[in-house]
Amino acid sequence: MEEIKSTIIQRIKTHFSDATEKEYPYNRVDFSVKKETIPAILFYLKDEMGFKHLSHISCIDWLEENEFEVVFIVWSPTDKIKVFVHTRVDRENPVMDNVDMIWRQANTYEREMREMFGIQFTGLEAPEEFLLEDWEGPPPMRRDFDTEAYATNTYWERPGREDAKDIRETIEKRSGEILPDFAKKYTR
Amino acid sequence: MREKATTLYIGPQHPGITGNMMVRVKVEGDTIVKATTEVGYLHRSFEKLIEKRNWLQSFTLLCRFCVPEPDPVEESYARAVELLEGREVPERAKYIRVLVLELARIASYLLWYGGQSASLGLYTIGQWSVGDRNYILDLFEELTGGRVYHMYIWPGGVRRDLPKGFENKVLKTMDYLEKRLDDYDDLMFDNTIFRKRTQGVGIIDKEKAVEWGVVGPPLRGCGIRSDIRIDDPYEVYNKLDFVVPVEEGGDIWARALVRRQEIRQSIRIIRQVLDNIPAGKYYNKIPNPQKWALPKGDAYTRTEAVRGEVGMYVVSDGGTHPRRAHFRGAAYVHAITLLENLLVGENISDIAAIMNSLGTCPPEIER
Amino acid sequence: MSFDLKGTLKPLTALKQFGKKPHTLVDVPSIPLEASDHYRGFHYNDLDECIGCGNCSTICQNQAIDMVPVDGIEGKKGDSGLRPRVDHGRCCWCGLCVEVCPTGSLSLTKDYLYVSDDPDTFLWTPGVDNPEGKERISFFSTEETSLNDFGRIPMPELEGMDRVKSFAEVVLGYNEVQARAEASRCISCGLCTEACPEHMHIPEYINAIARGNDADAVRIIYDNNPLPEMCGKVCTRRCEDVCAIAHRGDPIAIRWLKRYTTETVKNADMIKEVVNPDIQEPNGYKVGIIGAGPSGLTVAYYLALKGFDCTIYEAHAKAGGMTMYGIPKYRFPEESLDKQIEYIQKIGVKIHFNTKVGKDISFKEIYSKYDAVFIGVGFPKPWTLGIEGEDLKGSIQAVNFLYEINNGKTVDIGDKVIVIGGGNVAIDAARVSARLGADVTILYRRRVQDMPADWEEIEGAEDEGIHIIPQAIPVKFYPDKKGHVKAVEYLKADMVADEKGGRPKPVPVEGSNTIIEATAVLGAIGQQGDYSFLEEEFSEKVKIERGRFVVNEKQQSTLDKLFAGGDAANRSADVISAIADGYMAVKGIEDLLVKGN
Repeated sequence: MEEIKSTIIQRIKTHFSDATEKEYPYNRVDFSVKKETIPAILFYLKDEMGFKHLSHISCIDWLEENEFEVVFIVWSPTDKIKVFVHTRVDRENPVMDNVDMIWRQANTYEREMREMFGIQFTGLEAPEEFLLEDWEGPPPMRRDFDTEAYATNTYWERPGREDAKDIRETIEKRSGEILPDFAKKYTR
Repeated sequence: MREKATTLYIGPQHPGITGNMMVRVKVEGDTIVKATTEVGYLHRSFEKLIEKRNWLQSFTLLCRFCVPEPDPVEESYARAVELLEGREVPERAKYIRVLVLELARIASYLLWYGGQSASLGLYTIGQWSVGDRNYILDLFEELTGGRVYHMYIWPGGVRRDLPKGFENKVLKTMDYLEKRLDDYDDLMFDNTIFRKRTQGVGIIDKEKAVEWGVVGPPLRGCGIRSDIRIDDPYEVYNKLDFVVPVEEGGDIWARALVRRQEIRQSIRIIRQVLDNIPAGKYYNKIPNPQKWALPKGDAYTRTEAVRGEVGMYVVSDGGTHPRRAHFRGAAYVHAITLLENLLVGENISDIAAIMNSLGTCPPEIER
Repeated sequence: MSFDLKGTLKPLTALKQFGKKPHTLVDVPSIPLEASDHYRGFHYNDLDECIGCGNCSTICQNQAIDMVPVDGIEGKKGDSGLRPRVDHGRCCWCGLCVEVCPTGSLSLTKDYLYVSDDPDTFLWTPGVDNPEGKERISFFSTEETSLNDFGRIPMPELEGMDRVKSFAEVVLGYNEVQARAEASRCISCGLCTEACPEHMHIPEYINAIARGNDADAVRIIYDNNPLPEMCGKVCTRRCEDVCAIAHRGDPIAIRWLKRYTTETVKNADMIKEVVNPDIQEPNGYKVGIIGAGPSGLTVAYYLALKGFDCTIYEAHAKAGGMTMYGIPKYRFPEESLDKQIEYIQKIGVKIHFNTKVGKDISFKEIYSKYDAVFIGVGFPKPWTLGIEGEDLKGSIQAVNFLYEINNGKTVDIGDKVIVIGGGNVAIDAARVSARLGADVTILYRRRVQDMPADWEEIEGAEDEGIHIIPQAIPVKFYPDKKGHVKAVEYLKADMVADEKGGRPKPVPVEGSNTIIEATAVLGAIGQQGDYSFLEEEFSEKVKIERGRFVVNEKQQSTLDKLFAGGDAANRSADVISAIADGYMAVKGIEDLLVKGN
């Protein structure tokens, strides 16, 4: 398997100069590329290298770095190896190329990413709404969308649970401890 | 005379599927010319909720991704977390996991018997198979404390050891089921109605199957031998002796035949598990869940469920909560792009049967 | 299309099933099936076992568990007095609450049926609303399955017999990895904070350590304890006694975690940099403090932060009081103390060393010179046994012995030392004697488990080869020809249950006299106060009972501007209580001078 892995790395690196690799001790090889390279590298993996099966496409919001990470996971039924292709997309202007001409099912993933993260795929043809209906808020899977705050503001607690007590507060009050504000973020 | 196209809304309540989903079809006469899957009836935002939970807490949500067969989801999440952390799992736990996964597979196939036959108007088999599924749920209840939502496989192993005498109960149930399968054959596979309604219907093109993302029994029904348990083995599947059944044809009939044989293979696996299960620990305890942080990184694990390949992509930013836990369901591909493709040219009356034969599971799409 | 005869007839075999009984229900539909032995049904809570730590409520992702007061259950130290109430409309019976319950009081039962047309009745307090559940428990946690981490990360220590070779610190301290791991065991319930006399913010600083933020931990600790390194090494840690995890495992090593944190700040400058205290402008008030022990230092530190001008008068050459001169250096090295004193001085506290009040300066002078006075003089005078031969040569008071040794002097104790007593002073004296090369025996009148000393100290002593003779009451010391102590005679004692329900009393057994040889006897049965420095005009007015100043909750004595704390005012006689007294006195003095009440 090591041999196959090094062949994969070698071939990808000769064809895509911007690809950086990462190896794992099991049947997995990772590449990171610029977002412009995505369609080409996926085409190459599928048509030239036998990675026929698209296993997964995922998106992670790295809010602190102001970027989205999009991951394509492809599988070669002949070599029994997974290849992960990572790319980063600017969070302020999240646009990347549509790849559903390579695998039709990518269309569904892209629809979801468009709706949940707000990433626009150039040339994507699909109905506007996917899972959400009449949603006007920000793309909900973004890290800065606070589900709990949304739920608290939109819905209300059923009466009958007002007597719930916080253990820490109860003990603090009883013993006369005064917890400084800067320490409160460490209270469970 | 010119035929005029009509639009029909099939669903969201529907016998072809477990859960709610709609297919909008354009028909000419009773032939479908265009199909569009409409989802959004079940969205519960589990993946977002998981980001707000710690690494352990989310395991109670995972089973809700797919009601008929929750265990592969639990297992793939647990394994992804273990992979991220580098946590060892005791050998015994791996065997128990396989036992649970295969029991769940059988239970889920028994439910499929009901769904597939009912979608063609054959209701008796469903009454039987769902009743027989109860015997497996009884086993689950004893092992895990829950009948449907087991919440049993968790990072580090399994929650509880096998109860005393459990092995015998499993074996007895397996013996019983094996006999019952013959009864099902009489009613379903030997039934001329079933043959005529399924043969040559909903054909998946073998050449295109892999790139269309077909997995599991539908792929094996195209004559392609593909099974995560063999191709990308997990737990202890590489130590067990079983056959991956393959049928040619790519139609509902072929897919049904694959499933029919897989139940028997699962019974075979379970017997081997019970013969070979080692003694010892069943759980490598995780640290205090409140403060349990996982190293930065990502992991993707795949499991063979009855619907095909399911997977869990988990990302950690080094904290006590997952950065992202993204579930890959077979139905995500099967019930949307594949189904939309497959329905074209088929008859309205076969929609339910085709959907069922693909293992459509909307909760898995919406999560 | 040909007719498929077989395929048409085969399905008719279904008829053979006709008349079979359904298997899911026993008696349709009146009797529900009994659930299996491991079923996850309704909750049951053993109310006596439960300590109301709220861990169940924290782990519940459905927010189905609320902590509520329950009639007949009062909160006390180690018990919040609240009990979990389950909203069965939210519960998903995953049982995580059971898995994380530190006491194991919470479990699930076989019961799964409850019908009511009133949605409000789905809020149950398990154990209160379903007492019958006790007999129906089916899903519970054991020490093996529990998700609590019951095993403490062992503290690295010097080997027992290596220790006695020197006064090197025995406990080596956690490294970073060990500290994070130990801190991660904590469930952050906060029950410990109530047991701590000073109410330190324990869950918060432990959480800061667990999250890898030691600087925050230091800041949180210094919020109400200016001598954390002292506490980190020698605290009596009552917090650990009530630790939720201690019900089924080892308590979180709270003291060692504090020690770890304080060791991350290596010197006084670093402490100042990390704590970065907010020192207020001088407010013109002057406070005099007698005794630079833990209570006095605490008063001085926090008042100085608030802008008071603080001056401490200390009789000895160094600050720290008993922690300097009483506690041996293998437990609490001098550098640790110096670092903290230096930091307190950097804040602006003045300390006059070698200035004994009553000798070098009169109490009256101090009292008139300052706006408020705090007395933290401790208990310097040992109690005596009151038996024959106690005044022989070689019969030494343990506190005096420890003072001399800590002061760098030598004391001739020979090679067979007998220590009398069971407190920390006794154990300290014994372990110091062992380090001086003596063969040491401790005589204690009750059982080993009754010893007031820390169990770790007792274990440490045993590891170092010290013999403990429990239930032994000394009755006489025998002299040799030169008038030096030669042997000790003691009586064996029986433990007799106290009729009033107190702890069992030792009663000497007639005729059980035993004599053991000794080259020195160290008495350590307790100390008392010495207030001879108070002039008559003060000693008349200030109320002193059983050797202690009578003070209110702000440590104010019967004289308005006189405050007292530490051993001279409380019965706990430990460092943390002294610090707590000091902290309260700060409030008292501030209220008196600034707020005018």
